Amino acid sequence: MELPISLSKTSREPIYHQIENQIKALIAGGYLKAGSPLPSIRLMAKDLETSVITIRRAYQNLEYQGFIQTEQGKGTFVAEVANEKKQQIKVTAVYQAFESALDVALSYEYTVDQVKEIFAEVIESRKPKGDA
Amino acid sequence: MKALAEVKQVQKNVDEFKLGPVSLAIEAGTITALVGTNGSGKSTLLKLMMNQAKADAGNIKIHNMFVNGLNEEWKTHIAYQPQTMIGWDAFSGKALREFIAPLYPAWDDQQFNDIIQAFSVPLNKRFGKLSQGMQQKLILALTVARNTSILLLDEPTAFMDIPSKQKFIDLLIEWIESGDRAIVMSTHQVDDIMKLADYLCVLQEGKWMGTYEKETIQHMYCQFWMRDALPTESLPGEVSREGNQFITSKPEAMEAYMREHDLHCVNQKTLDLEESLSLLLNK
Repeated sequence: MELPISLSKTSREPIYHQIENQIKALIAGGYLKAGSPLPSIRLMAKDLETSVITIRRAYQNLEYQGFIQTEQGKGTFVAEVANEKKQQIKVTAVYQAFESALDVALSYEYTVDQVKEIFAEVIESRKPKGDA
Repeated sequence: MKALAEVKQVQKNVDEFKLGPVSLAIEAGTITALVGTNGSGKSTLLKLMMNQAKADAGNIKIHNMFVNGLNEEWKTHIAYQPQTMIGWDAFSGKALREFIAPLYPAWDDQQFNDIIQAFSVPLNKRFGKLSQGMQQKLILALTVARNTSILLLDEPTAFMDIPSKQKFIDLLIEWIESGDRAIVMSTHQVDDIMKLADYLCVLQEGKWMGTYEKETIQHMYCQFWMRDALPTESLPGEVSREGNQFITSKPEAMEAYMREHDLHCVNQKTLDLEESLSLLLNK
């Protein structure tokens, strides 16, 4: 069972961190439900073309934060995660997306007012047609 | 973690060629790839681990036993697949199995048959009549079935077709997951390295460049594209430059330098494994 995770190998964000965040997103988004099994560390390393060292690190962090749990001899499973915690992940992801968009604009020397204008335009363009 | 094999400060001189000193600790559950250009000493290192060549300095232990000691029990813990087999041509796979199986107390006939079937190896044909790819598959079956805790493979997929390479990867994953086992393999195949390796032991003309976690090599170099012409002075961690583009081994220091000198970067990326290895091996 291969997870829908895609890593950016050319990004400077550490791979284990990318894996951690994407698994959290899959749990928050409901793709990975409580109790469902995760691939073994070795299989995951093969699928994501990384090492067992990196996967073990991501799994350990996720376990420490209560997103997954390992049962000796049985494997690793998605833990029961409270709705508030799932909500928090979604909020964080949205904030991060806006922050990186803002970084792009600022690196092109846009002013904050110009960014606000662009933001308003984007929202306008996404409104369903015929919506007055 | 438990070290299944240990190579300590090993050196070997063959005519003009000098290997090492090289050290390597092989832990259970890990796959180490030996990488390097042709003639960099990968096969020699594997032979030394099998005591088929004598080290001029340093020592090698398998399951805590010196390979050059009187106690040869270590041989039951390690299986080795060389690149070529001398003297096998006249024999069929069936005959070879009958010679080899009794030599290994833990021989796993089920495993042998599974591999033979997965790769459709004809057991009645003489070894010399098989294609190079088929020979590799047969040797692999005869090596893995020894059911040891350490596998040493010398370019095991060099002649395999694409679907066979995928089967090979799946087979090794299943094998390593079924116990306290470890693999050391020399390879030039990027796919083997990407999908299997945890550690890369890098050799260049006999010189040991280091053993790295795969991710360390993947984050070793960063390429920057600059808006304007590069300053003439050497940049932090600079490895190479061409036009407005350059490669550095110190991206953080470079970013600080850019802020300080008001330089603008258009794009940047971390070099992938192949690019990084090429840089490392051409140093």
